[in-house]
Amino acid sequence: MSVLARPWSRLTPAGKVVLPLLGLLVFLTLALLVGFATGLIPGLIRFVGDLLGANIGIVRFVVAASAILLMSVPTAFVIIYMELKVIALMNLRLGPNRVGPWGSLHSIVHGLKVLGKEDFTPTGVDVPVFTLAPAVTFLAPVLGLLVLPFAPGLLGIDMNLALLYFFAVSGLSVLGLMMAGWSSFNKYSLLGGLRAAAQIISYEIPLTLAVVGVIMLAGTMSLNQIVMNQSGSILDWYMFKQPLGFVIFFIAATAEGNRTPFDLTEADSELVAGFATEYSGMRFGFFFFAEYVGVFILSALTTVLFLGGWNAPFDIDPVLNALGIRFDLALDLARLDVGLLFLLALGPVVGTLLIALPIWMLRSDWSFLKSLVIGFILLNVLLAAAVGVWLALSFEAVVGLGWFLVKTYFFVFLFVWMRATLPRVRIDQLMGFAWKWMLPASLVNLFVTALAIIVVSEVR
Amino acid sequence: MSLPDRIPILGWVWEDLLFLTFAGVMLGAALLVVIGRNIIRSGLWMILSFGALAGLYVLLGTPLVAAAQVLVYIGAISVLILFAIMLTQSKEGPSRLVFHHQAWAGALAAVALALLLALTVLGTEWPQADGQLRPSPSADIARLLFGEYLLAFEVVSVLLLAAVIGGVFLAKREDLPDPGEAAIEQVRLGSSPGGPTGYTSGGIGPSEADAARPSGGIGSTGAATTPGALGPSVGMSGRGDAP
Repeated sequence: MSVLARPWSRLTPAGKVVLPLLGLLVFLTLALLVGFATGLIPGLIRFVGDLLGANIGIVRFVVAASAILLMSVPTAFVIIYMELKVIALMNLRLGPNRVGPWGSLHSIVHGLKVLGKEDFTPTGVDVPVFTLAPAVTFLAPVLGLLVLPFAPGLLGIDMNLALLYFFAVSGLSVLGLMMAGWSSFNKYSLLGGLRAAAQIISYEIPLTLAVVGVIMLAGTMSLNQIVMNQSGSILDWYMFKQPLGFVIFFIAATAEGNRTPFDLTEADSELVAGFATEYSGMRFGFFFFAEYVGVFILSALTTVLFLGGWNAPFDIDPVLNALGIRFDLALDLARLDVGLLFLLALGPVVGTLLIALPIWMLRSDWSFLKSLVIGFILLNVLLAAAVGVWLALSFEAVVGLGWFLVKTYFFVFLFVWMRATLPRVRIDQLMGFAWKWMLPASLVNLFVTALAIIVVSEVR
Repeated sequence: MSLPDRIPILGWVWEDLLFLTFAGVMLGAALLVVIGRNIIRSGLWMILSFGALAGLYVLLGTPLVAAAQVLVYIGAISVLILFAIMLTQSKEGPSRLVFHHQAWAGALAAVALALLLALTVLGTEWPQADGQLRPSPSADIARLLFGEYLLAFEVVSVLLLAAVIGGVFLAKREDLPDPGEAAIEQVRLGSSPGGPTGYTSGGIGPSEADAARPSGGIGSTGAATTPGALGPSVGMSGRGDAP
């Protein structure tokens, strides 16, 4: 034991990381060599490929389910950073500025911190309910991601009843909030949970009724089909055919996502943290994530229903043609032959030097090494941008995803903006607004839309 | 190599396995609703039971009914039931079992019901499933609902409207407010009955939290089991001296 222990203890912390990694690398190389030599690995690959190909339905489902779970976390990180930074800039503060460039890794550190915190269960709570509540709350928005059409052909399931499914599963989040509020054995938590129930159920009615107008115009509840119906010019977007429905939907979505000015459920000046008061560590993190994923899916749904989803607001090809710009996108790297080898070997070096040398000459106070590093990073950024442009011009889905994300994050920005600007409403104002204004307005929208459809079809 | 059509040893189709899982979860959860002492847990088990039932609807090829089941029964009705329980019950222990002294009557009723059900099940000529289930599109359901069954649909909506009006009437009933409540009324500036369902207007506002007594615990024991418990006149707590 001590034979191994003594040299190990002499290693620096970095060495203790590198040495096992080296061992792993050597082992993997040997295993791969042996595997290829005996023909074991190609056979295994073929077998797994056949197996997956034969059960493509199950594979598709598992991939879609994993993808939405995986994408929910970076989405939440981005929105958390955006919220911190945008509100800070609106308040003339600096905001996060320590970790990463402009503090952009701040929310990742936040996430790690939450993971590392003690996860305790207070005395008197209803343990199973208390434990399950964050999971239920997080599950609801993540399940909603499954039917959102991100780009042409890029969606989890093209469900016929996607919209109904979406409202059904996102209604589950209130359940998690109530479970948390009740099981915490704390009157602030209970008040938060009760407020969540009252608020979300009340605002679900105008939210759903505002969408009925869109369903009548589109004639379908499939989100993918609704987006496709809005293709064409910008005037085909339902935002212009359903202006009242759009406004009602956005306001109700704000309440549905528990965002300011309707964040009564966790009003920190009144209820400590509402339903999340007794939670710590990653369980609190789940509530946190659920809120931001909820903001994302509500923004995405607004985009899909009213702003044409992945449709571009204008057609870029005629503009480029008029300017006489043409791209020859048929990249055929194999044509380069031996040149490709030289390009691969020398391209990065030459590119780095080409960027680094001017920087070094202009900034005399920087060492050559520093300008080399900066040049390398800049080269990578430029190459990534070039690859992005190439992808966007060659594949429809990438452009569609780009437009979808731009529109969605515009609404996310709007949510953040409202949080920085508007004061919180009182609970009686909140409920009165829902029942006395939003509900009649959404009914008016419904009847006017139905009338308009009949009139238009009669005139034609 | 894909999955075999039937499960190797048991000889079932995969749908059978799903059906048995959903049915088992549904029945088990329903049993737990009835035998549980903790009423909130009972409510949560009921939600699980509803969810399994939605799964059964999907298996039967009616996703629209399944979505409506989740949307209405889980998302609205169960949540309202839980809401009512949380407003009226105490966390500190199960309330007194009011139906306890009617156990014999309950047992008799249960046996009678079970006999009736068994007779019905045995006496009905059950049609055989034709193996292939055709998913029913929502347009067909809409056509049936607003064509053939329009009268039934309208009658049901009138019934619901009557229920809503009755709820509002009960919630708006003027009782003599007790002193604590009058104080809360004063704090609650310009309270107004909010809407059709009745729970509104500061009923769960911060003013009650301030008025809550430390000893009251959560939602004062059995304070509000009267009809109209969800009405604007019922506080969260601060009425701990009620029975």
